Amino acid sequence: MLISEDLTCRELVELVTEYLEGALAPADRDRFEQHLILCDGCAFYLDQMRTTIAVAGSMTEQSITPEAQESLVRVFSDWKGN
Amino acid sequence: MRAYKCLRPGRVGPFSGHNWPIGEWVESDGAILCMQGIHACRTTDLPFWLTQELWEIDLEGQVRQERRKLVADRGRLVQRVEGWNGASALSFAEDCAARAKERAERATGVDAGLLRELAGDAAANAAKGEAALVGYIAARSAEVDRGADGYVEERLAQARWLAAELRLDNP
Amino acid sequence: MAQVEAAEAELVEALRAGQESAFAALLREYHASILRVARLYVSSPATAEEVAQETWLAVLNGIGRFEGRSTLKTWIFRILTNIARTRGQRDARSVPFSSLGEGASESAVDPERFAPVGERWAGHWKSYPERWDTLPEERLLGTETRAHVQRAIDRLPLTQRQVITLRDVEGWEPEEVCSALEISETNQRVLLHRARSKVRQALEGYLGN
Repeated sequence: MLISEDLTCRELVELVTEYLEGALAPADRDRFEQHLILCDGCAFYLDQMRTTIAVAGSMTEQSITPEAQESLVRVFSDWKGN
Repeated sequence: MRAYKCLRPGRVGPFSGHNWPIGEWVESDGAILCMQGIHACRTTDLPFWLTQELWEIDLEGQVRQERRKLVADRGRLVQRVEGWNGASALSFAEDCAARAKERAERATGVDAGLLRELAGDAAANAAKGEAALVGYIAARSAEVDRGADGYVEERLAQARWLAAELRLDNP
Repeated sequence: MAQVEAAEAELVEALRAGQESAFAALLREYHASILRVARLYVSSPATAEEVAQETWLAVLNGIGRFEGRSTLKTWIFRILTNIARTRGQRDARSVPFSSLGEGASESAVDPERFAPVGERWAGHWKSYPERWDTLPEERLLGTETRAHVQRAIDRLPLTQRQVITLRDVEGWEPEEVCSALEISETNQRVLLHRARSKVRQALEGYLGN
């Protein structure tokens, strides 16, 4: 890329979210990806960001406590009774 | 049409992480508009996208010519360009570094210092075989030396080197 | 998709018919999520539980009217956000901003990590971030790591915490988040960016040791 078109690492880290959302304009996406080819540092950063998102996504504890279950079943019975 | 695709070891897409099969048509199913399409390179595009593996790819359907790449509806890996490997990547990098060095040596103006530093960076990374990075540094040194024209010429020289060395379609 | 719709229609019918097993299934599926989302609007876990209970009651009272124009999930969470938002406002909760603030010029990464202006590689990494892809998966997805991420999310300013929780923890679509929080897509993206940047930084601090 011409220097004037150049993406620095500092600029790239500000564009990471837009890139992952698919919101970068095609020309900017190209610059982003061309930089990734050259720059291991930014490739590692993008991977760190993806990992962060993955860890956040793994935190969905799905269970309901027995107490909550009990009290809500009572809510249900009351509702049904009416 | 026939074009080229730069992939990570094991036929892995550098951005999609997608594992490319050989000889099978692949269609992009990107839900987000600008991520649709199979991306590929003309010979002139290669210096910007160099990775460890270089493949020949057939493109089908609508093929859009963009500034630095082709975007097609469908693509099929044909065969690997075996000539592109660690040794040729090293040669490519050394060739780029040599041009950067030559620029630095004949420079006399205010940019001479910067050109020397860039030549040093190019040499250091060439020793590590960092083809894409050295190509970038060499292009940057060419731009410092002779502006946008210098930049374009350097990138063209890189594409020509690849075409000759790997016996690709002429750029 | 048709399979999911059919299963959902069955569940709705069973619930209308007063089958407790249908209600229990809904609880298993959504209650934990409802609590987490409620917690984004109100100040205490106890209040969040009350909001959750009010939500389930509203779901039961409204199930007769549910027409299936949206998914059951969307419908339930729309009820929840209405109740939670009202309750949050009623609690007159003062929005707690973290000491880091919501400054317009927040950087994703400390500028000190990059070569300064004037150097030939200005703006490039001084030293590369660590590789996490070589860390064992058990470490990355273990309870301690998750706890650190949760703590980092808890420390975020309110709107950033809401967006990252709904998007990345709960897996909502961007449009759903914009609708629930009544913010634009651009605004949502900026908040998500700031939130993720801070959480990544916190995780980096933890994994670096």
